[in-house]
Amino acid sequence: MTEAVRLDSITKRFPGVVANDDVTLSVERGTVHALLGENGAGKTTLMNVLYGLYEPTEGDVYVDGDGLTYDDDGAVADAPRRFDSPGDAIDAGVGMIHQHFMLVDPMTVAENITLGNEPRKWGGLAVDRDASREAVLELSERYGFDVEPDARIEDIGVGVQQRVEILKALYRGAEVLILDEPTAVLTPQEVEDLFDVLEELTDAGKTVIFITHKLGEALEAADEVTVLRDGRNVGTVGTADTTREELAELMVGREVMLETETPPATPGETALSVEGVTAVDDRDVVAVDDVSFSVREGEVFGIAGVDGNGQSELVEVVTGLHSLEEGRVELAGRDVTHASRRERTRAGMAYIPEDRQDRGLVMDFDLTENGVLGSQHDAPFAERGRLDWDRAEGHASEIIEEYDVRPPDADAEAKSLSGGNQQKFIVGREFSREPSCIVASHPTRGVDIGSTEFIHDRLVDLRDEGRAVLLVSSKLDEVRGLSDRLAVMYRGRIVDVVDPDEVTEEQLGLMMAGERPEDVPRAERVADAGPRSRDDADAEVADD
Amino acid sequence: MTDADGGGSDDSVPARLPRDRLFDALDRLVAASATERLFISGSALLLSVAIGFLLILVAGRMTSCGSAAYSVFGVGFCYDPFVVYDSLFLGAFGDFLANPLNGQFATTISETTVLVFTGIAVAVAFKAGVFNIGGQGQLVFGALASALVVYGFSGAVSGLVGTLVLVPLGLAVGAFVGGIWGAIPGALKAYADANEVITTIMLNFVATSFALYLASGPFKAPDSFANQTRTLPEYALFPQPLFPGRTDASLLALALAIAVAVGIAYLLRGTSFGYDVRTSGIQPEAAEYGGVNAARTVVTSMALSGALAGIGGAVYVLTIAGNFQTGVPDYGFDGITVSILAGNNPVGAIAAALLFGVLKSGSIVVDVGTDVPPQLVGVLRGLIVLFVAMPEFFRMIGQRVDVRDRFGGSRDAVATDGGEEA
Repeated sequence: MTEAVRLDSITKRFPGVVANDDVTLSVERGTVHALLGENGAGKTTLMNVLYGLYEPTEGDVYVDGDGLTYDDDGAVADAPRRFDSPGDAIDAGVGMIHQHFMLVDPMTVAENITLGNEPRKWGGLAVDRDASREAVLELSERYGFDVEPDARIEDIGVGVQQRVEILKALYRGAEVLILDEPTAVLTPQEVEDLFDVLEELTDAGKTVIFITHKLGEALEAADEVTVLRDGRNVGTVGTADTTREELAELMVGREVMLETETPPATPGETALSVEGVTAVDDRDVVAVDDVSFSVREGEVFGIAGVDGNGQSELVEVVTGLHSLEEGRVELAGRDVTHASRRERTRAGMAYIPEDRQDRGLVMDFDLTENGVLGSQHDAPFAERGRLDWDRAEGHASEIIEEYDVRPPDADAEAKSLSGGNQQKFIVGREFSREPSCIVASHPTRGVDIGSTEFIHDRLVDLRDEGRAVLLVSSKLDEVRGLSDRLAVMYRGRIVDVVDPDEVTEEQLGLMMAGERPEDVPRAERVADAGPRSRDDADAEVADD
Repeated sequence: MTDADGGGSDDSVPARLPRDRLFDALDRLVAASATERLFISGSALLLSVAIGFLLILVAGRMTSCGSAAYSVFGVGFCYDPFVVYDSLFLGAFGDFLANPLNGQFATTISETTVLVFTGIAVAVAFKAGVFNIGGQGQLVFGALASALVVYGFSGAVSGLVGTLVLVPLGLAVGAFVGGIWGAIPGALKAYADANEVITTIMLNFVATSFALYLASGPFKAPDSFANQTRTLPEYALFPQPLFPGRTDASLLALALAIAVAVGIAYLLRGTSFGYDVRTSGIQPEAAEYGGVNAARTVVTSMALSGALAGIGGAVYVLTIAGNFQTGVPDYGFDGITVSILAGNNPVGAIAAALLFGVLKSGSIVVDVGTDVPPQLVGVLRGLIVLFVAMPEFFRMIGQRVDVRDRFGGSRDAVATDGGEEA
C-alpha cells in the first residue's frame, strides 16, 4: 500500500490534559478515511496537528500527496514534516475545510477561491479576473463540481459553499483534504451530494480525511474508519468488514442500544401554545416568520430543520430570552408573551439551551453554584435574599449522582467537565425543577452515545408523567425517534407538521430544504398547529 | 513534493509557537492556587525592591553630595538604599514598639481606611463586569455632600449626641450622593449602551469641576483663602480616642471599613443579589439564561460601587480633612489599583489598601529623613505597585480572553472537539 499521510505516535498535551495520546494514523492515498469519535475524543486536535495549527508535543508527521516512499526495511524514507503554520501545511499539499466556512459573502465564487493567490496581469499590478474565472471553471469541471464562478457566496446554498471551500483547497494545490464535520450544516440530500464529490476526488487521486461522530456517515462515505476514544486510537477498520454496532462499541467502550423504543403518547391539555410568532435575529433579519404550534401535556413536539433556519430564535422567544415582533406565547393557558425569563421558570418552564458553555452553565462556577442557576432567588435555595449553600450543594450532589456526572464532585468547576458531563448536569438541573413544560434544544449535542441514550429515556419518562416537551434538534434520528408530532422549519417558517413514524427520511430531507412533497403523512391537527404556506424562492435547492 | 522537507527535521524538539506559549502562561496563571498567588505577589515585591535598589544606587552616583551616604567596594553613593527601603516600609509604622499610637502610624491608618472603601467600590463593579473608573468623582461628590450636610446640621446637635447623629448622617449622605453619581453611568450603560469607561471618566471631570465651583463660590468658607468649605466642629468628626493629638486617624473608621469589606464579601458570595452580580460579571449570557435582569444588575452594582466610593469620601472628610477642600488626593484612582492588587476580592482589598497606606505614609518618612528626591520615591512606589499588580492583572486578562473563540480551540480543544452536529 502507499500512504499519503502517516501520523506516527502523535501526542499532544495541553496544560492539564492529554488531547492525543500516542496516536498513530495511516491514511492510504486515494481513499476516504473517516476519523470517528465522540466529542472530546481528540479528532479535531489530531487534524489540527496535521494542518499545522498545533505542533505535536511528541511524534512525527509524514505527508506526501503522491504517496510516501519507503526504504528497504519498509520504514518511511521521507523526512518528517514540521509545520509551523497552516501555510506550511498548504505548501505541503494539505488543505482543511473547517466547520464554519471562511468565505467572503459579498464576493464571487471565483474571487473567493483565488483569494490570496490571484492570477496577476500588468506585471502583477492587477488581478486577472478572466484567468481566475478560467482556473475555477477548469477545476470545477475536472472534478465534476457544479459551481457557477460568478455567483456571489451570499446567494448560493450551504452545500455549494462547502464545495467552494473544497475548490479553494484544491486551487491551492491540496492533495490531502481534511473535512471537519462536513455534514453538520447539510440536509440529507446535500450530504449525498457531498459524498459523491468525495468519490470524484479520490478517483482523481486525492486523499480525503473526514472528521465525524456519526457512525452512519463514516460507514457510508469512507473506505477505512479510525476510531478515537479519549485521545487514543482504539482501532482502524475497513468499512466493508465492520458494523454499526462494532463501531459504536469502539467509540463508547461498551455495548450500546442504538435505537430507543418509545411507547405511544397519551396527550392531554395544551400546555404550551405559540401563535403567529415573528422575530428578527441580531442583524434585524426576520428569523422566525409567523410560526404557530402547540404542545400538549404528555407529548413530545419535535422541530427538525437544518441549523440556522430560525429554530434557535424560536426557542429563545418561547423561553423568554429573545424579543418577538409579533405573536403570542401561552404557558398552561396563561399569556407569557412578555413575561421575564424568571417568571417563566417559576411558571414551570425548564430549558435545556443549545449552547451549554455560554448559556447553560457558568464555566468558572463550581457545580454547587451552577446547580442553583435559575433558582437563585427561589426557595428552597434562597430565603429572604440569602442563599443556603449547604442545600445547594446537596442539590448538586443529587444531580451528579442521579445523572452520573463525572467527576462526581460538587466542587468541580463547570469548565473542568467534558461536554457530555456538562450537558448531563444541565439536563439534571432542568428536570429537577419539576417542570410542566420542557424546552430542549439539541439536548444531546456533543454528548456521548451512552449519555444520549440516558437523556432520551428521561425525556420519554417526563413525557409519560404528563409533561409537555418541545424538542428542537438537527439530528434527524433524534427528532424522529422521540417526537409524537414533528414540525420541519425552513427559513423561519414551519413547512409542515408530520407524523414522524410515517414520514420517510427523504421526505423530511426535502422539507428541510423548503419543498413540500405531496404525499407527506400529516400529523393530526391540534389547535392551529396546521401547516403554513410554503416559502417562495427555493434557489438553494435549485442550485443543488 | 520534497521542497518542504527541509523545515528543520534535524531539530528534535519542535519549537512552540509564541501564541501557544503565551496562552499556556495565561492558563497557568489563571489556574494558580491562593498560596501560589501569595507567593507570586511576594516574589514580585522582592523583585521590585531589587530593581529599585539598583535605581537608588544609580541615582546616587549621578548626584553630587558632601559625603557618601552609602559605600561599597570603596565606591560612594549619595543615597543609602537600605535606609530608603527601611523608611519606606517600616517608616509607616513609626516607632511602633515604643509607641504603637504614633503619628506616622496614624497617617498609615487614615490613608488605608479611605483606600479600603475605594478599593472595594471598584471591586464590586468589577465583579459585575463593569469597569468603574469613576470612583474619584463619586468620592469627591460624596465628600462634598457629606461636608455640606453635616455642617448644616452641626448647629442643631453637639457633644456625644452630635457625634452619634452627625457621623452616621455624613456617611449616609456620602453613600447616597456617591451612589447616585455611580448609578448614572450604570443606567447609561444598561439602557443606552454607553461604554462605562468613557462615561465614568467624563463624570469624574464633571464632579471635580462642579465641586471646585461650589467650594470656591457658594459654599466657600468666608475667612479662607483656599477653596474649601467651612470646617466642621470636632464633635461632627469620627471620634479618635486612641491617637492623642491627631484628628485624622480613627480606628473606628478603619473598623467600619473592614466590616464593610467583609459585609460586601458576604453580599457577593452569600446572597441571591451577589449571585446575580457575579454571574452577570463573569458570563452575561448565562446570567440572562438564569433569569438575571442584566440592565438592573448593572445599575444596582454601579450604584453600590458609587455608594462605597461616596462613603470613602465621607470618611475622608470626617477623619482626614475636617471639611471639603478641592484637590482631593487620587483615592478613587488608587482604588482601581487596590482592587487589581486584591484580585477584586473585597477582603483582599483590606491588605492591598494597607500596602498602599504603608507606601504613602512611608514616602513621607523618606522625604523627610533622606535626601532622596520625592520623584525617585514616587518611582520606587510605582515599581512596587506595578510589579505586585501585574500578575493579578494578567490573571484577569487570562480569565476574560476566551481563547477558543479566537483561535479555534486551544484551551478547550478537548472539551469542545467537533462541537456541532446535525
